[in-house]
Amino acid sequence: MPAEAMGKVTDRMRFVFAVLSLIFLAVLAISPFKDYRREWKQYKRSYLRFAQGRPDTKRLTADYSPGIDQIWLPGMNVVDRCTTCHQGITQSSLADKSVPQPFRAHPPIPHNMREWGCTICHRGQGPATEVAEAHESTLAWEQPVLPTHFIQASCGTCHQSDLPQTPQLARGRQLLAEFNCQGCHKMQGIERPAMLGPDLTSIGTKVSREWIYKWLKEPRTIVDKDGNVTVNGYETEEEPRMPKFRLSETELRALAAYLSVQKAKALRPYKISPAVVAAWSKNPELISQGELRFRQMFCTTCHSLAVTRAGETKLIGGDIGPELTKVGSKVNTDWLIAWLRDPEAYLPHTRMTRYGWSDEDLYKVSQYITTKLVDSDLLSDVPKLDPPADEEIQLGRGLFIEKGCASCHTIEGVNPQKDFGPDLSALGGKNASELEFGAAKIPHNLVSYIQAKLEDPVSVNPAARMPRYSWNQPDLDAVTTALLSMKGAPPTSAFENLLVPRKPSSFRATGSFAEVYERYKCYACHRFNGYGGDLAPDLTYEGSRAERQWLVEFLKSPQTLRPTLILRMPQLNMSDKDAATLADYLALVMQHPAVNPASKDAKEFTPAMATLGKQLYEVKYQCQSCHTIGSSGGYVGPNLSNAGGWLTPAWIEAWLRNPQALIPDSIEPRRNFTDEEILALTAYLVTLRAGIKPQKTAVNIGALASEQGAGR
Amino acid sequence: MRIRNLAVAALGVAALCGASGCRKHARTAKVDPLLAAYDSEADWNDSTKMIPLGYQQAQGKRVFYQYCVWCHADSTPAGPSNRSNLTPVPALLDDGATLNAESDEYLGNIITLGGSALGKSAMMPPYGRTLSPEEIRSVIAFTRAIAQPPYQPPGRPGSQYSAR
Repeated sequence: MPAEAMGKVTDRMRFVFAVLSLIFLAVLAISPFKDYRREWKQYKRSYLRFAQGRPDTKRLTADYSPGIDQIWLPGMNVVDRCTTCHQGITQSSLADKSVPQPFRAHPPIPHNMREWGCTICHRGQGPATEVAEAHESTLAWEQPVLPTHFIQASCGTCHQSDLPQTPQLARGRQLLAEFNCQGCHKMQGIERPAMLGPDLTSIGTKVSREWIYKWLKEPRTIVDKDGNVTVNGYETEEEPRMPKFRLSETELRALAAYLSVQKAKALRPYKISPAVVAAWSKNPELISQGELRFRQMFCTTCHSLAVTRAGETKLIGGDIGPELTKVGSKVNTDWLIAWLRDPEAYLPHTRMTRYGWSDEDLYKVSQYITTKLVDSDLLSDVPKLDPPADEEIQLGRGLFIEKGCASCHTIEGVNPQKDFGPDLSALGGKNASELEFGAAKIPHNLVSYIQAKLEDPVSVNPAARMPRYSWNQPDLDAVTTALLSMKGAPPTSAFENLLVPRKPSSFRATGSFAEVYERYKCYACHRFNGYGGDLAPDLTYEGSRAERQWLVEFLKSPQTLRPTLILRMPQLNMSDKDAATLADYLALVMQHPAVNPASKDAKEFTPAMATLGKQLYEVKYQCQSCHTIGSSGGYVGPNLSNAGGWLTPAWIEAWLRNPQALIPDSIEPRRNFTDEEILALTAYLVTLRAGIKPQKTAVNIGALASEQGAGR
Repeated sequence: MRIRNLAVAALGVAALCGASGCRKHARTAKVDPLLAAYDSEADWNDSTKMIPLGYQQAQGKRVFYQYCVWCHADSTPAGPSNRSNLTPVPALLDDGATLNAESDEYLGNIITLGGSALGKSAMMPPYGRTLSPEEIRSVIAFTRAIAQPPYQPPGRPGSQYSAR
């Protein structure tokens, strides 16, 4: 460059300078542009545009601010910026499905979103301002949004008592308890029952080594012609509670050998009177009479039987006891008879009731079970098993502990390993990085992990000891929901104060009542002060509701009050003394504090009142739409033909005033009766009396069959 | 000089492009792709995991199965329906041909006050003292969700955001 040209600005330099300036400007502009284009700001602007297209723009944009919106709840560690984009969640006019997300209103829920925030229920990252970071699992932000299908899990994190609004969660908790998951795992709020799996102390007196082998290999007995297990009957949707373990042939043989020699309590066979056997054994009616008694005693209230209709196998009956379709090929006859006579002698914690058997009934029913409820092919694929050798028994004993059998089943002198399975009480709050996915090709998130593990434990961990359960999809989702709800100890004291604990339920029967109550296992179906089953009516206030005389008659010969029910009170063949003991206790102790049966006397009602009541019943209120009197009426509510003989006047009156005050989940609507109308209706109902007719057996069988047909 | 002109021209073109770009953006705002990006939960959840009913409708379903199913369905959890015992025969809950014509308010009234208060059969009892207003609304929401033929809510028929 010549010297005179130095310091002179050439055109070329000007050009370079201009271009550099432009580039510099452009680079400077990137930052504000990027800021302008940020995801949440775009949602902000599109909300404004969206609101302008709606008739109620003013209301929709009343709280609009261009910045980040957040719900900040310091006590609960909540900083939720979700409302930055989800700006319409409290706008009721945006509830419609046609409103695009993220602007749609939140469906109405029992909690105020401003007081609770979003992530407490939905999870995800509250402080994030990008869609992916808020909803998904990223390297820095691990907690993804909980799929709405499992949202009830969040209700369960605080509400440890069951809510009517969360059926999926309640079902999941129930399944966790039923499948005895607490045998191996620690879990939040799932009660450990007195007996997990059946006590195997004397299993060798009940079943053969071959049957044990078969059961351990494939614990399901109902298999249709295609090899599929179909247990989706109307009443029973249960899988066997016994899961499938992965056992080798040697292990199967050894465990079967070990169990088949468990005979701690010797079986004392009961000799049915020879006269009865002689009278019935040649009778061609023996088996059909046995079946009739089996049905009349309502064994199917607790046990189910597989019924094949139109090529489809379904279990029909209750699920309190095991399914009995092939039980005749399972147990030996001496054991069966001894068991039927006194179940507690074999299994101290059983829920099986002790029927009052006559020798004749016992013979007929046991013959029916061992002749009809059988499957000659049940053990056909079991190899020939020799009498167990000592080394097999020893190996079996080791396996019994090692495989975790001892965690659910009792055998005298065998102690389970402590904390056999992992603690699950904080599983629901885990991040994906805390989980082992192994070689499983599943999305790396908690929901997929739980479902894969439940469906096939070895899919995520080849060394898993957990057995395999077979779930249908709704049950799998329910259990997943229940597990997701267990997030461990509350992180802050504010959360701790929010917990709604499970109410412990207990009922201590006393005196001579306790003995009868235990013998008949009333609590297997009925509830007493919150304790017991939910199959049959809650008897907590039975003393206020029912007349003592009616109770005695009912206990001795239970007649159904609700014609549509398939599962009914078993015919327990109760003695007069037992019935009186139960009725006295119920009548005296199980009373509602506000309903004293002695306070009302049927004599205070006049015939004129009853006439008015009848008119109200039939014309003004048309109670016959739900209740039957005589032969006409509906069958939603109980049959009132014998209302006067059954219900106490005090109960009828209180019930008419407010059914839900007596039984909170009663479906009878609370009416607006005047006092005069209540008296008149009570007066009418106490005049209704009908003697209990003796059961017509043939008709009963037909009615049961047709009901079961109609029930599905 | 020529080069400077060129630079100015380039700037001008860029500005024009920018401006036109802005205008274009403004014009296309109506079909903002962002609005459809997260149109449903299915976009971040597996579609097979989606629940067909919202919270309110699901609560309605629960209430329906507890209180209404006995007379307003052809089969019930306990077996046969009570419908055949009643005259006039109650409407099925999914009977859109009958129920779609009734307003939410009317349905709310008949559930709350019972049939006789509205000049209908007294066989329909009042539930106003048994169910909460929220529960009654949820049953109506459930009715609307399961109606056959489907229920069309009144108002805004030509909305640009109407469901596809």
